[in-house]
Amino acid sequence: MLSSILSRTSLAMAALVAVSGSAYATTSAMFDKEHTKAERKEFSPYVNRGYPTNVYFGDTHLHTSLSMDAGTFGNRLGLDEAYRFTRGEEVTASKGFKAKLGRPLDFVVVADHSDGMGFFDMFASGDPAVMDKEEGRRWNKAIGEGGQASVDAALEIITLFSQGKFPWRTNNPKMMKPVWHNVIDAAEKYNDPGKFTAFIGYEWTSLVKGNNLHRVVIYRDGGNQARQTLPFTLADSADPEDLWEFMKTYEDKTGGDLLAIPHNGNLANGIMFDIETLSGGAIDKDYAERRQRWEPLYETTQIKGDGEAHPLLSPDDEFADYETWDLGNLDMSQAKTDDMLAGEYARSGLKRGLEFEQKFGVNPYKFGQIGSTDSHTSLPAVEENNFFGKHSGVEPSPERAMHVTLGGEHGKIMGYEMASSGYAAVWATENTRAAIFDAMSRKETYATTGSRMAVRFFGGWDFTEEDARSRQPADAGYARGVPMGGDLRHAPTGKSPSFLVAALKDALSGNLDRIQIIKGWVGNDGKAQERVYDVAVSDGRKIDNNGRCKTPVGNTVDVEKATWSNTIGAPELIAVWTDPDFDPNQRAFYYARVIEIPTPRWTAYEAMRFNIEMPKEAEMATQERAYTSPIWYTPKK
Amino acid sequence: MGLSAANKFFKWIVREPLLHFLVLGAGLFLLYAHVSDDSPGSTNSIVVDEAEVLRLAEQFQRTWMRPPSRQELAGLAEDFVKEEILYREALALGLDQDDLVIRRRMRQKMEFLNADLAEQQAPSDEQLRAYMNSHADKFRQPARLSFEQIYFAAEQSADSAQRKAVTLLARLEAEPETVWQELGDPTLLPAALTDASDRDIAAAFGGALAEAVGDAPLKRWSGPYESTYGLHLLRVTERAPANLPPLREIRALVGREWSNERRQQANERFYQALRERYSVEIRLPAAGDKLAVRQP
Repeated sequence: MLSSILSRTSLAMAALVAVSGSAYATTSAMFDKEHTKAERKEFSPYVNRGYPTNVYFGDTHLHTSLSMDAGTFGNRLGLDEAYRFTRGEEVTASKGFKAKLGRPLDFVVVADHSDGMGFFDMFASGDPAVMDKEEGRRWNKAIGEGGQASVDAALEIITLFSQGKFPWRTNNPKMMKPVWHNVIDAAEKYNDPGKFTAFIGYEWTSLVKGNNLHRVVIYRDGGNQARQTLPFTLADSADPEDLWEFMKTYEDKTGGDLLAIPHNGNLANGIMFDIETLSGGAIDKDYAERRQRWEPLYETTQIKGDGEAHPLLSPDDEFADYETWDLGNLDMSQAKTDDMLAGEYARSGLKRGLEFEQKFGVNPYKFGQIGSTDSHTSLPAVEENNFFGKHSGVEPSPERAMHVTLGGEHGKIMGYEMASSGYAAVWATENTRAAIFDAMSRKETYATTGSRMAVRFFGGWDFTEEDARSRQPADAGYARGVPMGGDLRHAPTGKSPSFLVAALKDALSGNLDRIQIIKGWVGNDGKAQERVYDVAVSDGRKIDNNGRCKTPVGNTVDVEKATWSNTIGAPELIAVWTDPDFDPNQRAFYYARVIEIPTPRWTAYEAMRFNIEMPKEAEMATQERAYTSPIWYTPKK
Repeated sequence: MGLSAANKFFKWIVREPLLHFLVLGAGLFLLYAHVSDDSPGSTNSIVVDEAEVLRLAEQFQRTWMRPPSRQELAGLAEDFVKEEILYREALALGLDQDDLVIRRRMRQKMEFLNADLAEQQAPSDEQLRAYMNSHADKFRQPARLSFEQIYFAAEQSADSAQRKAVTLLARLEAEPETVWQELGDPTLLPAALTDASDRDIAAAFGGALAEAVGDAPLKRWSGPYESTYGLHLLRVTERAPANLPPLREIRALVGREWSNERRQQANERFYQALRERYSVEIRLPAAGDKLAVRQP
């Protein structure tokens, strides 16, 4: 639990935050400079620290047996087990291994598919409502048989569902309501303010001919509000604009708050960050405003591949090809072509957003970043040495590396290609639904690929080397800049933006190789560009005049024994970096990427434990990483 | 009857577990008697009554989103009769025996049926206190430590970090009132943890330092100790032993564990009650004997 890290403060702080928070709301005059500056120097350095000092790690995207595909893949663990495991208790996984997290998580969103929620139990039990069709009877039989038959049934269900050919209506309120109320009750039961946050949520499983537009929907609210409506389903609509309308209706009706997080653009075949709306309309100011309003975050990394950058889009970025899944869409019914990539990756989405903003003044793709698991095993277990897989068909076993994880007409993804990734890191004032949700809304978040490093990132106009040597970098960061997810405007004449960035390694993972800042901007031709800068590197390596360090950190991984040593890399890195190529007339974004030294990938642990050979193609070492939410610079009009 | 309806039925019929077992046992007995009845006389009447017709119509409605016509309803009823006859004949012929799929389905249905049996009224404080005391290990809060630390980066030179740490320790021993917060190398690590468990310390500093903190002397500086980050001087300010908190502080947790255990116990009792009615004999090969398992 890193929640206590970097926090030298106590409950008194939470009180301070509450006070300053409400003070802000009172009057806009409070934003005047002289009012926001501390009037008097206090003695205690902890006074006036109204900023978040805790980073909480969680999973915003966990499926239980209530999800139709999870159940059919063989997941037998329900809500109780999912919450117990997430909180650090031991459970028995569906395939029989006992399972426990190395460290508990601080929060979780159980996000079962809203379509067909609870359908699995009906197939399994042979409910008359589904036994009236040939498919129901066949799947009922396959689930009874278990094993490969059950996995095949799950793949068939996903395919039919992806293609809009699922034989039943999946949004029948009669079926949904009792299941939804169970979901809410379980979240209420396990939510433990201050210690562990269980959000109410679900996944809206939008697919357009197998192209993934899924969104996880998260409630800031408790059961009384959430119970007033049912989740939105694909059967209602596949168009995100309709989801946003539905979310608005919920908020108007209940006074509650929702946000949605899209994921797996890499399986969307170009339509996640598209150049037009799903219904074929132009992306305009109104669309951009609504997308920003409802979707402050994007899930950049998860088990079904990492979606930060693609090597074809970022040929100068040697770290871009990380856990890449680029064969086709979700059900592999359509192969991927190169022209689709720009609409799929977080970095290219952020760039496209700038281009649109250049045209009509609002950025449709202005999102922060988080990672999550999308695990369908009820177990958010993505530590490399403790990886329980994408679904119960690929839980640990000597054979899973060569089992098909996803597949269809245009290819298949084998077990060894699963990424043991990721978690959502959130800078919040306390571990409650409200505090974490609000941090997500202001994008004060970052994605990690499963490691729990602590990362700070601030942008301002006058950070100096001195701030990097400070014992309280966050003091300077918040006082003279904006945190990750924030905005810089009104460049003072002759000034370039400077960034204060710091990373502390995960105590249980590898040392740090480097911190980079990735900049995207719109050139004078209206086209977005990108560039990677190394800003802090370990082991005394040099950063050259181009802002790069091309010397690799090295590799201490012993694949056979699945070990490594922290004799290379640094336990923490900190730097102040000023953009050397800044043009005040060009809109831009900046985000930090922190990279660890190589450590054994889950495949190496698995080969050692089961004493098996992994296929030649399997990667056996990995460099875990973190991606922060960007800070945007917007020029004066 | 749908599964959830079946569940409700069971919940409604008995709240008392013992009575429940008796009723369920009787039901099973009747079912068994019914199935094993060789004479067809008692089973050769089939009545499709109003309730059954309504169920058929509702099932049709769910699929077609409209009620069935009279003719369609007659067809549904005929189909139901055909299924019922073939089903009974199949049972009579023993076609359900030795069928792996059917066996698993039946087992699953039984497990689903009794999954919710344990749902009961809220437990009283007395019940929870008794449960908490008899499961003290489960609810005991781990020992809590508060400590301060001064960090020395060992990345550039482990020797010089060691020297700096030893020198500073000597100074702190001589002058314990020294303001220590600005000493050592700057770091993002917390300068102090309060009320931290062993697990919290390991999460923040790694296992080696957690162990060192556990053994370090109280209220004075000691070290240097090595961690995954570098070297540390430590001062433990408080050690609170593991303890069992009063019920009011952890009532929700105890309640959850209590219900969970009740659920598992009810399931197990249910199974054991059934099992007692069988004489079970399992013949495993003697230790050392090899089974002639065929390779696939």
